[in-house]
Amino acid sequence: MKIYESAVRKPVSTVMIFVAVAVMGLFSLRNLAIDMYPEMDLPMLMVMTSYPGANATDIETNITRHLEDQLNTVDNLKELTSNSADNFSLITVELEWGADVTEAANDVRDVISRSTSLLPDEAETPVVFKFSSSMIPIAYLSVTAGESYPALAKILDEKLVNTLNRIDGVGAVGIMGAPEREVQINVDPNRLAAYGLTVESLGQIIAAENVNIPAGTMDIGNHTFNIKADGEFTSSDDLRSVVVSNAGGRTVLLSDVAEVRDTLAKMTQTQYFNSEPGVMIVIQKQSGSNTVQIVDRVFAELPAIQASLPADVELDIIMDTSESIRDSISSLSQAVMFAFIFVILVVMFFLGRWRATFIICLTIPISLIVSFIYLYVTGSTLNIISLSSLSIAIGMVVDDAIVVLENITTHIERGSKPKEAAIYGTNEVWLSVIATTLVVVAVFMPFTMLGGMAGIMFKELGWIVSIVIVTSTLAAISLTPMLSAYLLRIDGGVHTYKGIGIVYKPIDAFLEWLDNFYAKVLGWVVRNRKKTFFSTMGIFIISLVLLSLVPTEFFPAQDNAMITATVELDQNLSVEYTETVERQIDAIVYEKYPEVTILAGTAGANSSDNVFAAMERNGSNIITYMMRLPRMSERESGRTIFEISDLLRADLEGIPEIRRFKVVPGGQDGGGMSGASTVDVKVFGYDMDATDAVAKDLEKKIAALEGTRDVQLSRDELRPEYNVTFDRSKLAYYGISSATASTFVRNRLNGLDASKYREDGDEYDIVVRYGEEFRESFDNVEDVTLYGATGQPVKLHEVATLEEEFAAPTIQRENRQRIVTVQSSLGEGFALGQVVNEVNALLEGYEVPEGVALEVGGSMEDMEDMMGDFMTLLLLVVVLVYIVMATQFESLKMPFIIMFTIPFAFTGVFLALWVTGTPLSMIAMIGAIMLVGIVTKNGIVMVDYTNLLIERGMPTREAVVASGKSRLRPVLMTSVTTILGMMPMAMGFGDGSELWQPMGIAIIGGMAFSTLLTLFVIPVIYTMFQLNKDRRAGAAATKLANRKAAAAAKLATKKVK
Amino acid sequence: MKAVFISYNQAHTLQVNAILDKLEVRGFTRWALTEGRGSNGGEPHYGTHAWPSMNTSLMVFCKNQEVEPLLDALRRLDAEAPQQGLRAFVLDAEEGM
Repeated sequence: MKIYESAVRKPVSTVMIFVAVAVMGLFSLRNLAIDMYPEMDLPMLMVMTSYPGANATDIETNITRHLEDQLNTVDNLKELTSNSADNFSLITVELEWGADVTEAANDVRDVISRSTSLLPDEAETPVVFKFSSSMIPIAYLSVTAGESYPALAKILDEKLVNTLNRIDGVGAVGIMGAPEREVQINVDPNRLAAYGLTVESLGQIIAAENVNIPAGTMDIGNHTFNIKADGEFTSSDDLRSVVVSNAGGRTVLLSDVAEVRDTLAKMTQTQYFNSEPGVMIVIQKQSGSNTVQIVDRVFAELPAIQASLPADVELDIIMDTSESIRDSISSLSQAVMFAFIFVILVVMFFLGRWRATFIICLTIPISLIVSFIYLYVTGSTLNIISLSSLSIAIGMVVDDAIVVLENITTHIERGSKPKEAAIYGTNEVWLSVIATTLVVVAVFMPFTMLGGMAGIMFKELGWIVSIVIVTSTLAAISLTPMLSAYLLRIDGGVHTYKGIGIVYKPIDAFLEWLDNFYAKVLGWVVRNRKKTFFSTMGIFIISLVLLSLVPTEFFPAQDNAMITATVELDQNLSVEYTETVERQIDAIVYEKYPEVTILAGTAGANSSDNVFAAMERNGSNIITYMMRLPRMSERESGRTIFEISDLLRADLEGIPEIRRFKVVPGGQDGGGMSGASTVDVKVFGYDMDATDAVAKDLEKKIAALEGTRDVQLSRDELRPEYNVTFDRSKLAYYGISSATASTFVRNRLNGLDASKYREDGDEYDIVVRYGEEFRESFDNVEDVTLYGATGQPVKLHEVATLEEEFAAPTIQRENRQRIVTVQSSLGEGFALGQVVNEVNALLEGYEVPEGVALEVGGSMEDMEDMMGDFMTLLLLVVVLVYIVMATQFESLKMPFIIMFTIPFAFTGVFLALWVTGTPLSMIAMIGAIMLVGIVTKNGIVMVDYTNLLIERGMPTREAVVASGKSRLRPVLMTSVTTILGMMPMAMGFGDGSELWQPMGIAIIGGMAFSTLLTLFVIPVIYTMFQLNKDRRAGAAATKLANRKAAAAAKLATKKVK
Repeated sequence: MKAVFISYNQAHTLQVNAILDKLEVRGFTRWALTEGRGSNGGEPHYGTHAWPSMNTSLMVFCKNQEVEPLLDALRRLDAEAPQQGLRAFVLDAEEGM
């Protein structure tokens, strides 16, 4: 028994099977977590090697180059980039997307262990880091405080960090910019010298005074007691009375030679939140855990934490990455819901019967629910890819059910009982239904084979659409006939317009009129084949011209209500001065951009010592900003982050202290899918001066272009420094080694960590150094006193000279070549392709010195990579679809006729993009590729029926018109359901919908245009081919007849002879 | 003894079975899938792409007096759905065992 027959004969089992599927699907849905993208393992590894004391050039030659040469052999390597700075080398190994990172990490470790012998002895063993998405912070909190500010680090550590760390899934909680308590011993060098003391001896004395020593045990009677000698300071005031010298019988106390201060360490970084000093909390997740869930858990704890904090300490959320995830998911879910409703309305409009509509639309939830099971089983999430896949599939899942139901209705109209009609009606069409499904699967399965980053993004799309479509076909040949058998009425044929059905009367009349009108026009078109053919070809060619007018971009930028900015002041400015500029900028932002609800500014160097810090630009002269705005929909002014960024750039331009700045709308720096795109010009070359000159020239010229903003060089300017150069012979005379001398200088200026002061279980550094007034000037440094081997004091200027120098910047390399990148972001309203074209035009004929090479990179590089993948994909899809159709029609010609509509679909795409001013992005291209499937489906419906009519003996032209008239409604239904299904996406309501808007627009444009043309072009081309064939057949028949006649005549003459 | 050859669109199967049961006609042979074109116009039943429907054929053997009620019932069924196709032909059956 066939599947549809079993389904009709066993309705209970059929219903139960689908109920079971639905229950499993809903169960899966309940357990699905939500996320932005399908989980992706960033194929990146980092190798960090430190070599203390070496400068950038030494690091480059002795470490980076050796390691790079060896790492170049790693499998699946895509790009090697490196950063050689003072004291450390950081190499980034970028692998091809989809490469096994764990395996690659092992390879890298092998390579490193092989090459350690090449590295200098003093260099530390290289450390390999896996760069995982869990390193990206999931939330930032701000903590502001009044009088509790000095103790903030301790309070937060106890009350907040510990609590949050206990939450399942939280990886790390970091405190940035918290003031650290420190006990400072600020010595007066003159007094020190007078008593014959040194910084080192003070340090030793303090360390010796601050100890607890177990002194043994004592037995008293039957009891044993421990004895300990507690010498540790119980209060920081104890330090003052430490005796540091008894020279000449006079007791010298520490307070006599130094000032003892229990205070806060000098901050290298300060944080301001809405102009209040505070601390930033960075929360990272554990790898593999779900952002939204963790953020939920963290935020659930916050009220309790807030309650436990002192009254003046205020917690606030600066950035919550889960918010944009939630927004995107909810707006996409809405889009799916609307698409569902639209599809139901369209089916109702065309069929006019609620029972039929119900039967058809029931396949939608069932097919969609199956995708939840798939997501649950594969451990995926409800993300923007999976949800938009559903949105795409929703218009297609009803097609099969429509075909089946239509045929069943025809049978009923011919007088069959619904049950028989269901069985025999399905029997007639089930094979062709499966064949059209195969076409769609042929389009979407190749998505699952995509490589690269596109593969990560669109694998899920391929699987989901394929699964949903296959499920819909299964439902169409089991559930649909079963329901038709029991729900459809016998008098299915004629609409009675009873009751509310009266509404349908004008619709019916309209559809009737449309059928006839189309048949009339089609008749004319078929008679005027050449005119039609050439004018449509003309339209296609014009659309290709149009394509050159549509700008291209990588991914559409999203307004995610975040702006980050980095502002760099003149080098060597102190944190304090940087802070005043920060206040100035704060004031501007408050005044001009009331949209900014949270303004988090960080002045100074990042104190955290993670890999992120190593990759960021650090320095006391740098301010970084994070600004949070309300969601686009809730923003009163209606200004987008891109507009605000452009205005802010103009404001920053006006502040003279600012050397350069960078404003990034969207918050991510270049990379990533939603962040702003960048255009990079890479200047390769070994000679630093030559590349610097070229890069600076390009910087100026690129900044002058219209579409670029924030043009920056990746190489830092040379940094002025003071270098203490010792005279070795003089040092030798005093019996001091270079190392001891350097340590002496360091202890006096930077300070000597003498011991730890313990209080309430926490330890604080006791730091001995020159008082601040003795290390403020050039002369102060020269006056630093060193001590010779015999203890005689020597001033620094006696053994060394202090020289101002320009330190080598960090050296960046890409694929083993030195590189400077001139990076620029895009201004509001400029697409990537436009700017790249401008830059390319600039580079055309640009003269570079010997040994310097230029290359355009940035988002363009990724885009070209992906474009290549997509072209392969398109080719694969077209070939597969052709194969499927050729086997279906058992003809090489029919698929060709049908595929003739594909170019017109692209015409529609370009037209829609051009009219709406949307750039051609990767997302729009995905839409265009999907059209191949949807459009050919329409073609199949038309051609198949025309073939059938011709087989039934109808003349070609009549058959074409008749089949067109009869297939108009199914074709329109498929197209309109797809178009309306995409409508919510294309209109882009909801936050975070910008990303998918181009796909909606592309599909709607392509679908509308190609449907219109399918209805005319396919009949025309079909007629052309068929008439040709008829003519040839006719000619062959005449020839054969003539030959026969001739042969007969010959035979006759022979006989006569 | 008469033989009645009935050929009909397979969609009629259930109704024809019901008629045979009702009239208590026991002796028949059935070919579940047959092809045919029909003598009075109508669509061919070939099971092909162009003509996908199929026929079922029955050879019924019954007593002479049972023939007329059977034909009546079949005529009524055919009149209900003339487009489906249902034809019956009566032949003489000489002997049986």
